[in-house]
Amino acid sequence: MKKQKGKITDIIFLAITAITAFSIIALSLGIFLVLFKESLPAVEKFGFVSFILSKEWDPVREIFGAAPALIGTLITSFFALLFAVPIAVGIAIFITEIAPSFLKGVIGTAIELLAAIPSIIYGMWGLFTLAPIMSENIEPLLQSTFGKLPLLGKLFEGTPLGVDLFTASIILSIMIIPFTASIARDSFNLTPSVLKESAYAIGATKWEVVKDVVLPYSKLGVLGGVGLSLGRALGETMAVAFVLGNLNQIPHSLFDAAATVTVKLANEFTEADKDIYLSSLYYLALLLFILSFTILAMAKLFLLKAERK
Amino acid sequence: MIPEIEVRNLNFYYTGGIHILKNINMTVYKNQVTALIGPSGCGKTTLLRCFNRMHDLYAGNKYDGEIIFQGMNILSKETDLIELRSKIGMVFQKPTPFPMSIYENIAYGLKLRGIKSRGELKTRVEKALKDAALWDEVKDKLNANAFGLSGGQQQRLCIARALAVEPEIILFDEPTSALDPISTAKIEELIISLKGIVTIIIVTHNMQQAARISDWTGFMMLGELVEYDRTDKIFTVPSNKLTEDYITGRFG
Amino acid sequence: MIPKKRKIVSTLALFACFLTALWGIFWLSFIIIDVVRHGITAINPSLFLKDPAPPGEEGGGLRNAFIGHLLLTVFATLIGVPIGVLGGTFLAEYGRKYKISRVISTLADIMVSVPAIIIGAFIYAIIVKPMGHFSGWAGACALGIIMIPTVLRTTENMLSLIPWPLREAAFALGAPYYKVIIQVVYKGAATGILTGIILSIARVTGEAAPLLFTAFNNNYFSLDMSQPIASLTVTIFQYAMGPYEDWHAQAWGAALMITLFILIATISGRILIKRRYRD
Repeated sequence: MKKQKGKITDIIFLAITAITAFSIIALSLGIFLVLFKESLPAVEKFGFVSFILSKEWDPVREIFGAAPALIGTLITSFFALLFAVPIAVGIAIFITEIAPSFLKGVIGTAIELLAAIPSIIYGMWGLFTLAPIMSENIEPLLQSTFGKLPLLGKLFEGTPLGVDLFTASIILSIMIIPFTASIARDSFNLTPSVLKESAYAIGATKWEVVKDVVLPYSKLGVLGGVGLSLGRALGETMAVAFVLGNLNQIPHSLFDAAATVTVKLANEFTEADKDIYLSSLYYLALLLFILSFTILAMAKLFLLKAERK
Repeated sequence: MIPEIEVRNLNFYYTGGIHILKNINMTVYKNQVTALIGPSGCGKTTLLRCFNRMHDLYAGNKYDGEIIFQGMNILSKETDLIELRSKIGMVFQKPTPFPMSIYENIAYGLKLRGIKSRGELKTRVEKALKDAALWDEVKDKLNANAFGLSGGQQQRLCIARALAVEPEIILFDEPTSALDPISTAKIEELIISLKGIVTIIIVTHNMQQAARISDWTGFMMLGELVEYDRTDKIFTVPSNKLTEDYITGRFG
Repeated sequence: MIPKKRKIVSTLALFACFLTALWGIFWLSFIIIDVVRHGITAINPSLFLKDPAPPGEEGGGLRNAFIGHLLLTVFATLIGVPIGVLGGTFLAEYGRKYKISRVISTLADIMVSVPAIIIGAFIYAIIVKPMGHFSGWAGACALGIIMIPTVLRTTENMLSLIPWPLREAAFALGAPYYKVIIQVVYKGAATGILTGIILSIARVTGEAAPLLFTAFNNNYFSLDMSQPIASLTVTIFQYAMGPYEDWHAQAWGAALMITLFILIATISGRILIKRRYRD
């Protein structure tokens, strides 16, 4: 009798745990379907190609296009990666190969705390502290140096106001450093020490061992880390919302204000008074979801492959 | 017989002062094969890794005494480890090809030494592969990834890599323990054929291997070098009771 | 000659790596010092005890936001933690052998990084719109959903660390699997799971984006979860972007409290897990 009862409880427990586990699948699918359903009116009205290519965002005339927001998202993420990846890889090298053991823990923790600071704090600090420093010191300096270069100089045109793509990218880069760094560190640690020893054994310097053995061996993992950071950067909202200006324009310079998908959502979602306006915002959200999901999935596949090696 | 390395009163301590090698004295002769045998944990690999100062990669290790090579004590602070390791190569227990092509694996050490001429690189890579008896198997796929080779081939690639930079000495740390018998036989043949070109110090847990390929054998136990003599003498008339017990398989 | 040049290159490159670590630490200290410097002046009893004054008027506090934030976090935890822990249990125990479990793990890893604002938009469509208005429940659901994948993955990992023979020993005594899990496996993994929960609470405490169009905001004190409710993070966004000096000061005060809470929670979580898994 008692045995029977135990068995039934076991099946009930199994069922509960299984349902909760499968809720992840339901959730991912649910999010996709709901976003799709909500954006359907906008999809029907604007199509795909013309939506992502159109520069218009006019709530009054009810014409919506995604180009400025998508471009803003891609540009901020691109520059964030550009600033963050070398730094993060350097940090990972420092922690795994150089730092004495007491520093390893301290610096590792400090870098992970960068990830713990909420994005709203980054945003607020960016608006009140970093943006003024940018507009008064850093950006004029960049303008008077890099701004003079041919071609590249175009990136530094305009009045440096501090609320622009450059400041947003810098803040984003600080935020994603810990993600790339911690995954790069884990991948470096996967390099067999005997492989490093054999490079030392033919007389390689420490840097040569890192450059020629550790980095090539762990490149899949590092790529995965970069992908993960990219996914984060694409979807970051609050930090960027403070310092980007939510200006619906295609930027020409790093010192232009702009918009990203997330900033548009954060600022306009509750103001969207017409169905097609809200639906267009959902359309943006859907595109962002697909984009970041794809990139994150690819990053995850890289990481799984790297682990299996 | 020319001495290549003189070990004098060598003591070695791991982190926390654990005494691993106790007062080792030995002479390694040039262009001969010297084998280090002994039960696991006896310190034979630790001793081997003293010769190219591999222990320096990890914090907290301490050497005491002298290892004289080319008139210098390599344990002194002034020793340039990069230079030392380019004169004393090493082959590890498991094959360790670098994540590069077969060709690049061999050329890597040469490039580090500043050899840039393509022609010279090519000849020297080819020579190293021939010396390591691998050339015929890989000459058509030099640009293939080195991980694609079999275990035995990978190990010979590592030997070729060590040979390419023309070292004085090559240290072998149980180079065949991860290989099948046929690959093992090839590596043993190779080691014998390299004698006369380089000095070889080999750690092995396989006594027959030591007997087959070495000229000199050192028997170690609990961090001490119990007996060190010509291989034929060690395996026929050892002077120490412990050595005799070990080689006759009474413990081990 | 060549070795000398190579050594210089090596030293320079390694020094550059050291500088990158300094770069990271520089920003961390810059941000924390800045938040403390601004925030500390705004900390006074009325920040915690008073509700907001009408816009433009001096004084007032953020009692509503502190309480609202607490409520949102508590209910989010009540939603996210059970689902996460039980789901992780399935992946590490009953479902361990099935391929679908690996798929769910991978999917959860991806969901951890899916933009939080998307979750907000999702909840808006399935809860706020049908209800007709913003509500604390919607906010708690959004935060809870954000917690699930993190808790689920930590639970799975922590349970997998428990050696299999331990379960076999319990099976050998005739215990059914659910008892083995609850009485043996959970006990062994408790610290690890707790750490995962602490870290995920720390993470949702700092979220603003998913609350913007779920819990929205409320300038008045409210304990009613079925109505819009204030949170510290959304209030920070509103106040910091607002025109009044007084608002900015209070936003800094709130930012300081949130940052302190999160840093303490994160650090204690890390210490907890280090102590447990040192050996």
